[in-house]
Amino acid sequence: MLKVKNGDIDKMGLIYERYHRQLYRFIFNMTRQKELSEDMVQNVFLRMLKYPEGFMGFGEFKMWMYHIARNAIYDHFRKVRRTPAYSDVKDFEERIEGEHRTDAHLEKEQELKTLETAMGKLSDENRELIILCRFQEMKYHEIAKLLNTTEGAIKVRVHRALNQLKSNFLRIEN
Amino acid sequence: MRIKEITMECKDYREQFTLLLTNTLDQTERSEIESHLAGCSDCRNEFEAARKIWSLMGEIPQPEPSQAMRANFDTILSDFKEELAAKKNNQVSIWTIKLREFWSRQAQPRLAFSLLLVAAGLICGYFLHQPEQSAISYNRQIDRLSSQVSEIKQVMMLSLLQDPSASQRIRAVAYTDEISNVDLKVINALFTTLNEDPNVNVRLATLEALVKLSGEPKVREGLVRSIELQESPLMQSAIADAMVKLQEKSSVQPLRNLLNKKGLNQMVKINIEKSISKLI
Repeated sequence: MLKVKNGDIDKMGLIYERYHRQLYRFIFNMTRQKELSEDMVQNVFLRMLKYPEGFMGFGEFKMWMYHIARNAIYDHFRKVRRTPAYSDVKDFEERIEGEHRTDAHLEKEQELKTLETAMGKLSDENRELIILCRFQEMKYHEIAKLLNTTEGAIKVRVHRALNQLKSNFLRIEN
Repeated sequence: MRIKEITMECKDYREQFTLLLTNTLDQTERSEIESHLAGCSDCRNEFEAARKIWSLMGEIPQPEPSQAMRANFDTILSDFKEELAAKKNNQVSIWTIKLREFWSRQAQPRLAFSLLLVAAGLICGYFLHQPEQSAISYNRQIDRLSSQVSEIKQVMMLSLLQDPSASQRIRAVAYTDEISNVDLKVINALFTTLNEDPNVNVRLATLEALVKLSGEPKVREGLVRSIELQESPLMQSAIADAMVKLQEKSSVQPLRNLLNKKGLNQMVKINIEKSISKLI
């Protein structure tokens, strides 16, 4: 990234190659909208190109990227003024349609759907913690740095979020 | 008591379930919690539920970004590069344009004018600063001022001579001392006063003033001519005295004429005769 900052724009292609999938998943899991997520990924990268000086102070590229992405996501949430519920379930249903089904498969699909609904019922903050921890596989200290808090606090919060998800899941299942 | 103790213990362990799932516990912590799970069915069930959700989350299908995205980003990147290059070029060209604008038609007369002003200022400063020049111009100014003052005095004198008050007229006559260049106008005015002023004192003062100006041949001529015109005894003897003082020989004939005048004061007659004898 330092090279990009110093004018080697082509290096940004490599960075994109390396991170865009990860970033896309984060944004998609937060918003559950494919097209919106794709647009946001491009915007995040364009922003990094335009304001490379923002990189300073983050030390690690990944942190900076997530920071920008979070801002974009929460901006979006504020704009649409609604909980980013799993509104785009249709995407999944379409995909499921064409698959060969067995009973076991159906049961699994049901469970996954329940889990997705349970996740949708979490607060933005709790869902984000779970996404960062489970889907993005970030370490506690990384999440702490991103959210500007301590590792201990993040451990407690992730635990609570997971408990919340579990109780949501069990409630829907029954 | 026993049950509560177990619950407290279980609670502590359950706090660590997430840490176990995220694989952040070290070996001893993990074996400790695993041994507890082996002996506590409640906790085992609890952990199973959490673990199930945890692994189920791993099975939530994660969509791949579309292939078009990568291509789109390449476009964004090259666009950005072009933009950046254009900006750089712009910065250079903006400066050249600015420089050119500086010399453009609109600015040229303005610039020329301001340069002219600066040059004019420098030249003026240079000449004004020269000490000789300034002294000369200073003297010139003084001369001009003093000549103006004497002009003013002359005008004042001439107008004062018309004043009805005799004392003002005497003052006017006294001004002739202060007028540096007495010209014909003043002399004529003085003679008019000498010959025609109704007040003797004014005429006497005028005579005195004219005697002072006797360097002028015209003044002498006028005085001689004036001798016969005087009627007042005071003026007649004063003018005779003046003639003696000036040693004006051409005044002898007019003085003799004056002696023949009827009704001449006896004292004046004696005085004039004395004067004539002195002049001859």
